[in-house]
Amino acid sequence: MHSIDTFSGFGLGLRRAHYQDFLNDDAGAVMGIDFVEVISENYMVEGGNPLLVLEQMRAKMPVIMHGVSMSIGSAHGLDMEYLAQLEMLVNRIDPLWISDHLCWTRTSAHNSHDLLPMPYRYDALDTVCDNVDRAQERLGRAILFENPSSYMTFPDDEMSEWEFIAHMARRTGCYLLLDINNIFVSAHNHGFSAEDYLAGLPMDRVRQIHLAGHTDGDIKIDTHDQPVCGGVWQLYAKACNMLGDVATMIERDDNIPPLPRLVEELNRARAIAGKSQPMVAA
Amino acid sequence: MNAALKQRQQDFMAQVLDDTAALPTGWTARHKAGMDIYRNAYRARLVDALRSTFERTARWTGEDAFRKAAAHHVITRPPNSWTLDDIGAGFPEVLEELFANDPEVAGLGRLEWVMHRAFVAADAVPLNAAGFGEIAASFAEQDWAAMRITFMPGTAIFPVLRNIGKLWAFLGEPGDEDARPPDLAVETPQHCIVWREEFKPVFMQVTQAEGAVFSLISGGATYGQACEALLALIGEEHAGAKAGAEAGAEAGAKAGAKAGAKAGAEAGAMLGRWVHNGMIAAIDKA
Repeated sequence: MHSIDTFSGFGLGLRRAHYQDFLNDDAGAVMGIDFVEVISENYMVEGGNPLLVLEQMRAKMPVIMHGVSMSIGSAHGLDMEYLAQLEMLVNRIDPLWISDHLCWTRTSAHNSHDLLPMPYRYDALDTVCDNVDRAQERLGRAILFENPSSYMTFPDDEMSEWEFIAHMARRTGCYLLLDINNIFVSAHNHGFSAEDYLAGLPMDRVRQIHLAGHTDGDIKIDTHDQPVCGGVWQLYAKACNMLGDVATMIERDDNIPPLPRLVEELNRARAIAGKSQPMVAA
Repeated sequence: MNAALKQRQQDFMAQVLDDTAALPTGWTARHKAGMDIYRNAYRARLVDALRSTFERTARWTGEDAFRKAAAHHVITRPPNSWTLDDIGAGFPEVLEELFANDPEVAGLGRLEWVMHRAFVAADAVPLNAAGFGEIAASFAEQDWAAMRITFMPGTAIFPVLRNIGKLWAFLGEPGDEDARPPDLAVETPQHCIVWREEFKPVFMQVTQAEGAVFSLISGGATYGQACEALLALIGEEHAGAKAGAEAGAEAGAKAGAKAGAKAGAEAGAMLGRWVHNGMIAAIDKA
């Protein structure tokens, strides 16, 4: 499987509320944004303004395609029509890389449009690895998979989430998108150590980091509608000490603030990582 | 094939879709609390997607009524497509059933759904009057009757019983929640045609006759067949009274006049309007 080169930029998710900001300004030069990440499915359409905006953004800076519907953990197999449409967008945009989540979203009859939890068992690992192999072969490229946030584990789990992810990466050659907030949320929800999680991952396979906010409660919920919290910043700092060059982005999907507020968070990430200058020169 | 995982995922999905579904033996209160989060997230995401697509419909029905209708749709037609964009398929029919005494609701729902589809339809360059004239210049007399028209991607039509244009404008006005809706009555049932002007979905309300002609041509009928159908619909005298030139578009009038049938003048007016509006992607005499 093809390898994915490192990219140490700092970026934001491209959301409709900021289309004009990005298109009006040279966002890279003015705000120090090195790349944008898009939700792939929002642009897997035949035409219209969303695709035009994406192509205009691609002309300005690198784009990462982040999917939510591959359902790599589905025992019902991959949706080949989905992969064909994803491939069309990949060919059109030439992204830095593509990613999705370690989860399942559908059965043959229904699609939940949610990232549902995997049982961390060896038979499920076989299914995930088969699906990853097929997806990477179909798309002709390695894919990054993101560690999910979850709200329950299964009584018959046979390994930890990080052990499952390490096995998956080693067996398939896939890469990892490390969501620090998801580790923070799941560590709270399931009572494991976030530091143990980080220590158990093959850090050489990580190419990207997500930072996001969540909603507090007995069970923390990964809502992406708040600023990154102090605990997540601390965990990010620990991860930075264990990682080589990776791309880092702030992921905000709801209660979206003006772009400069997100740039402030991005600059904080840049400072923690010890990289004071954006990659794109003014 | 991992049959055990498949069964486990089918069971989990059934529990997400149905709040009353029994949870597996051995699950604790903590598991139930986790499942409740998945259930709530599933329902909320789909209802939010419907509200986003059917924004003016929700404004017309009111939030509570819309949320109930959306929840009914999600329960009776759980999604199976990989794209959340498809969640609105069938929702106008649900609105028609649930708001049988308020036909504006289903009309608005249909309008928002086809506009939603048109928004991401394939890109194409519309045929303008000059382009139409250039192609038509090569037509022999009999070619006009054999002409077929391809409309722009995403163009669609549906019947309406009210003045949906007035309602659309009324619901687009910000602010005054106590404002009275305008008189929406129309003398006869009509049609609404939706298309995309560059990147913006737009619509116009047309007569039953124009809707019938548009539907025939969209379905593959030739221009000549559409003219004959129009003649049968509106009657020869009325058809003859309407000059193709009325449309103001020379190409359409010329086409109508050359169609031979008296209804051709009316059809020519329609054709001119469609060209003027940028609704036609191509014409072909074959």
